[in-house]
Amino acid sequence: MQGERIRGRQIMASIRSRNVNEVPRFAARVIPWLGLAIAFLGGPVRGGEDMPPRNPAAVEYFEKTIRPILATRCLSCHDAARHKGGLRLDSRAGAMAGGTSGPAVVPGKPEDSLLVDAINYGETYQMPPKSKLPASEVAVLTDWVKRGAPWGHDSGPVRSAAASGDRLNAEEFQARARFWSFQPVKRVQPPVTSRDSWARNPIDRFLLHALGTRNLAPAPEADRRTLIRRVTFDLIGLPPTPEEVAAFLADTRPDAYEQLIERLLASPHFGARQARHWLDLVRYAETAGHEFDYDIADAYRYRDYVTRALNLDIPYDRFVVEHLAGDLIATPRRRQGDGANESILATGFLYLGEGTHSPVDVREEEMRKIDNQIDVISKAFLGLTLACARCHDHKFDPITTRDYYALAGFLHGTRIQHAVIDAPEARAPAIRRAGQANHAAAALALADRTLLSGSLRQKLDAIAAPAKPGSTTNPTADAVLLDDFSRPTLDGWYRNGDAFCERTTRAGDLRLDWHGDTPVLAAVLPGTVQSNLVSNRLAGVIRSATFSIRARFLHVRARGQGGRIAVVIDNFEKIRDPIYGGLTRRIQHDDWRVETFDLDMWRGETAFLELSDGAVADFGNTTAPLDDANGYLAVDWIAASDRSPVSIQADPVEPSVDLNAVAAALAPVAPDRAKRLRERLADARLADQAIQPPRFALAAADGTPADEHVHIRGSHKNLGELVPRRFLQVLGGATEPTHEGAESRLDLAMRMVDPGTNPLLARVIANRLWRHHFGEGLVATPDDFGKMGRPPSHPELLDWLASELVASGWSLKHLHRLMVASSAYRMSSALDPGAESRDPGNVLLHRMNPRRLEAEAIRDAVLAVSGRLNTRMEGPSVHTHLDAFMEGRGRPAVSGPLDGAGRRTLYLNVRRNFLNPFLLAFDMPVPFAPMGKRNRSNVPAQALALLNDPFIKEQAGIWAMRTLSAPAASDRARLDRAYETAFARLPSEAEAALALGYLDARMGSNPTQAQAAWTDLCHALLNTKEFLFVP
Amino acid sequence: MHCRRYLDPGSTRRDFLLRAANGFGAFALAALLSDRAHGEMLGEAPSPAGASGRAGLPHHPPRARNVIFLFMDGGPSQMDTFDPKPRLTREHGKPISVKTHPTQFNNVGNVLGSPWKFRNRGASGIPVSDLFPRVGGMVDDLAIIRSMVSNFSEHTAANYFLHTGSGLQGRPSAGAWVTYGLGSESRDLPGFVVLNGGLIPPGGIDCFGSGFLPATYQGSVFRPTGAPVANISPSEPSLADQRTKLDLVRALDQGVLGRVGAHDAVEAAIANAELAFRMQTAVPDLMDIREESRSTRALYGFDDPFPPTQIFARECLLARRLIERGVRFVELLCPAVGADRWDQHGGLKVGHERNAHAVDQPIAGLLTDLKARGLLDSTLVLWAGEFGRTPMAQGTDGRDHNPYGFTVWLAGGGIKGGVIHGATDDYGYHAIENKVEIHDLHATMLHLLGVDHKRLVHRFGGRDMRLTDVHGELITPILA
Repeated sequence: MQGERIRGRQIMASIRSRNVNEVPRFAARVIPWLGLAIAFLGGPVRGGEDMPPRNPAAVEYFEKTIRPILATRCLSCHDAARHKGGLRLDSRAGAMAGGTSGPAVVPGKPEDSLLVDAINYGETYQMPPKSKLPASEVAVLTDWVKRGAPWGHDSGPVRSAAASGDRLNAEEFQARARFWSFQPVKRVQPPVTSRDSWARNPIDRFLLHALGTRNLAPAPEADRRTLIRRVTFDLIGLPPTPEEVAAFLADTRPDAYEQLIERLLASPHFGARQARHWLDLVRYAETAGHEFDYDIADAYRYRDYVTRALNLDIPYDRFVVEHLAGDLIATPRRRQGDGANESILATGFLYLGEGTHSPVDVREEEMRKIDNQIDVISKAFLGLTLACARCHDHKFDPITTRDYYALAGFLHGTRIQHAVIDAPEARAPAIRRAGQANHAAAALALADRTLLSGSLRQKLDAIAAPAKPGSTTNPTADAVLLDDFSRPTLDGWYRNGDAFCERTTRAGDLRLDWHGDTPVLAAVLPGTVQSNLVSNRLAGVIRSATFSIRARFLHVRARGQGGRIAVVIDNFEKIRDPIYGGLTRRIQHDDWRVETFDLDMWRGETAFLELSDGAVADFGNTTAPLDDANGYLAVDWIAASDRSPVSIQADPVEPSVDLNAVAAALAPVAPDRAKRLRERLADARLADQAIQPPRFALAAADGTPADEHVHIRGSHKNLGELVPRRFLQVLGGATEPTHEGAESRLDLAMRMVDPGTNPLLARVIANRLWRHHFGEGLVATPDDFGKMGRPPSHPELLDWLASELVASGWSLKHLHRLMVASSAYRMSSALDPGAESRDPGNVLLHRMNPRRLEAEAIRDAVLAVSGRLNTRMEGPSVHTHLDAFMEGRGRPAVSGPLDGAGRRTLYLNVRRNFLNPFLLAFDMPVPFAPMGKRNRSNVPAQALALLNDPFIKEQAGIWAMRTLSAPAASDRARLDRAYETAFARLPSEAEAALALGYLDARMGSNPTQAQAAWTDLCHALLNTKEFLFVP
Repeated sequence: MHCRRYLDPGSTRRDFLLRAANGFGAFALAALLSDRAHGEMLGEAPSPAGASGRAGLPHHPPRARNVIFLFMDGGPSQMDTFDPKPRLTREHGKPISVKTHPTQFNNVGNVLGSPWKFRNRGASGIPVSDLFPRVGGMVDDLAIIRSMVSNFSEHTAANYFLHTGSGLQGRPSAGAWVTYGLGSESRDLPGFVVLNGGLIPPGGIDCFGSGFLPATYQGSVFRPTGAPVANISPSEPSLADQRTKLDLVRALDQGVLGRVGAHDAVEAAIANAELAFRMQTAVPDLMDIREESRSTRALYGFDDPFPPTQIFARECLLARRLIERGVRFVELLCPAVGADRWDQHGGLKVGHERNAHAVDQPIAGLLTDLKARGLLDSTLVLWAGEFGRTPMAQGTDGRDHNPYGFTVWLAGGGIKGGVIHGATDDYGYHAIENKVEIHDLHATMLHLLGVDHKRLVHRFGGRDMRLTDVHGELITPILA
């Protein structure tokens, strides 16, 4: 196991070949859980209010009789917050210890107990001070002390939520850091129990042990039909087909069920099912909501990334690293087949939140987005409510505002990009060939110019003559030149895509442009950046370092077609009117001009300049498409000035010539040369056309690194100390720096997945998987492992699963397999009143929890049952079907198909302002924050949708047609088939009689009514609760 | 967790769109399983009932049978509405001379005098500011509690606390408790209905949840305008056809119950389908206000040109129609007014004016109409936000959250009108006289409904849970 772990670690280490000196540190780290099987606090089972009582009768007596008196009469002065006289009566220890006058309670001895004296208005104290207790209560408390002062459920000190936002001091921090969830994961040996024969794997032994403490036995195993339906829905989110059921029933091998699990884990639908669970955690949506509900371009690539990663069982730590720093991994994971960059896709999750199109305060908008990102990162990966620490140190957990802003710094220095994801080797040959073909044609034309005379000769001479070095014009004296691209390379700029080279232009550079069918050869102005040195068909963006806006005007000397120059302030991407329209400029002129931006409103803000040829989202309209890659942008210099627009000197010229004209002129004098030139031009044209448009994905990109100040009370206008970027202190983030210099996002990612210092990552995901398979988490609050969350019902089991995950090389499928293969998972969900009373709420899992299917599984099952299911995976989402209730700004112009083209629900467009009402009724979460625990509501909207929704009616009709068209001997045979399709079982005789009776009554003697009658029957079956529930 | 200060102003519109898209999404099943017609028991001797925690309900003859809760989301300012503080005007612009608590935003400015005039109104002469001229006109029917306190100064926790008696998520809402205890008199509408005027409060629909009580009692969220919910029209040729089909479904479901056991969730889903069937006629009937006279509609404010007023007017009228149909507990949520909910961290004047404009006439119209129809005597009306606001400015023209002293009022069944209970200090900052806790408010509400708050319990996790936990004292001075 240790070997496995190290192998996993090495894989991780290879991610960061940039920081090679890190490898030994990771490899040498020893995980402290082995051999440390220390007993947990509080016994084997702790379940919130269901802590097993030492003596239930005594506890009940205390809780019912004593605590109410203490609570109403005493605790207003003697609780954790006030403890007047040093006395606390909110725990037995407090009562025993007493206050400044000594112990308050001496068990068994009321005569020696100060409390009894005080409530009798004795000499020392008269309590409660305002009025003496009723005699009956005095008697009850005296009797309680006489009985030995038994106590009930001790709740630790809880701070008043209205308490001040006092700075969390070191002592309190340390105390909070001792909370169970921050302790290292302990590998506890599964207990041995008397019913070990029942146990199939360690999960069962942990559960059995806990059941034993309440004298409970596990429920009997469910029948095979129930099992296959349960495990098929759980793993792939679809019902088993009658054929699959038959095969399982006929499989007499002892490991038939294990074989079934393997088949399901290997199904591509596994990823589609599990991805939806994950998407709940990252508030996945494909539009930004707010007023216009803009598209989040290419969001679906993130969804497909998750699906593939889960299907491939990418180690979970790797998956998390890719989320936080997939763009920074030196050797990214590549997709099988086309070699596209897979790792970078994960970072897209950062940008799936809501977005304002025209916020008044962009800095505040940036902080709101970062807050949402931190909320997602902390809840999804860590089960911590970090967003609380935006304004004040966390009220309950060891998390400070400094922790918050240390994380915010990473995100502040991170920019959104639409990254080209194609494998470099996939695009490079075509680009190289186009460059070579251009060069060959140009060289030929220049060589043959001696055969020509007149203006063509002059033009070609001008192109061939070396241009004067440096830029030809400069801004006037009152301006400051920010960059004139006179350096040989683009140092200091961040480059994406392949349109801009790594170097600036220099004397002798030539360019062959195609103006329609006309090839134009030009001498390139040296000391510029140009996106079309090879082809207009390339896309790319370069971004400057972050700077502070000090001067009023920014000037950019540029030319282009379809290019864009934007001043991006505080990472605000949705640049558009009314407020921000002036910050972006589309360049549509082939001559050099100076574009001037008036930044008066944003003085003092930080910004960067974005020069793009495609690969940026355009928020000019009510949708947000990506800019077209066709066209180009060229920039000569960038300057800032404070007083007025700069004046321009003479316009430099890039001498150019029409090579078709050159060929035509050559033809009379040198027909062979003309023919060769035409051939070369034709070749260049073909090579240009062979360049395929790039594929883009929403992703993170590193910008200028920067730390954040603490924002006092969450206000960016009230800055406190500057906090170096780091991971959470309580999870090892404040230990020695990873390497020289400030932490990068990749460092953050590595800290996050280090099981030596972060026990939460493994615990939290193990708990999530448990919840999906057993209906409730071992920790009932899957997104909050902090003090306000619920303690684990089975702490050792949770830790065993977490350690097993790490030991397996972070294989999620390994955990899935363990869970669904356990005897616990195979239990029946049937109720046993006796067991229910001993385990209310089934916390100890004495039986299986029946579960209502999630919204997606219900819709997918309807499609599967009707036969309409289209199993195609991946790709852009199916347009949203719009009903009459879905109206408002941003409503798509076209409604999608009612049945979503039969695609699984995962592939329906998720539009924030136009969420699918059917899915919402069945508790699909509104994508605003991580949702590790969906509601399971029971609302009439569900019944009404199943009764009246046109989609359901349509599918019932399709199912009926399919039922009738299949060869079947009788209606009874058809009914059997329908039952097996929907419920993986045959109808009982009683059920068959009911259904066939209905059919008869509906059809009468008129066989033409068969389709209508069967449609009604199928509709009725879709309305049964059995269709919605998995027992 | 955050104040709307962190949300863009346009989110209110988003909320609206979401609601539009949401439709029936948050519409919950309620009191179907409880067919006991409590109305018949009004004034009668307590009768024995079934479930343990509900034995002997009502515990005493009730004074009210329904509750209409006007939830003033965001926290209206007490010193600008029902609790005049001349000292604020005198010291306007000066630093406050008492120690201040840390506030939500800790951006403590100087004393801020109320921008509104107070006038003595009604026969009782109780002062009400010009923000509420029409409600002020009804002041003789109101019991105004000026000494309300809460335990939380942050919206979500305070909203949960006001609604459920606990600052944590997931406890049953007061409406769920009431419906659990008393059932509904309506067999085809939920017993606890929330009219969503546009603003779902921070904390979300968990403010209206049933917590550990059966899901049956959770609040059902209705749109007040347009069609209330999707799929409400039967898709069969006739309701009889649908009935036949549902009878088949029901019969098949009974068989399934036998197979898997009577799990709560499955049983509730079965009941849910029956309620859905009946709602197909009941809901359109409820929403059809054509039968309401022109003058009635005008009374509620339908003619006001301000769209949020029209929305709240409709909510108030629907509230009356809901209680007429036996719905036990109706909560009204505020409409978006284009200037945030009652949460004016800045722009107090404009924000409070718009929020008040939206609700003043509709509320006065509701009280007037209930009175005219003899319904006010059996309906408890509660006007409350989750907390009040600070006497000192946040920034220059806003007020921060203040849970230490604020105003709520009650009217109707069992309430003494034209009285003021409790007082805050000269600044309106702290309650200093007859402090009233949220638990006391809950205890009093249950009392008026014939329920002893200490005896309406539900065993959960080994403990007898109550709406009032271990607290709650009746506010006897306001009882009629």
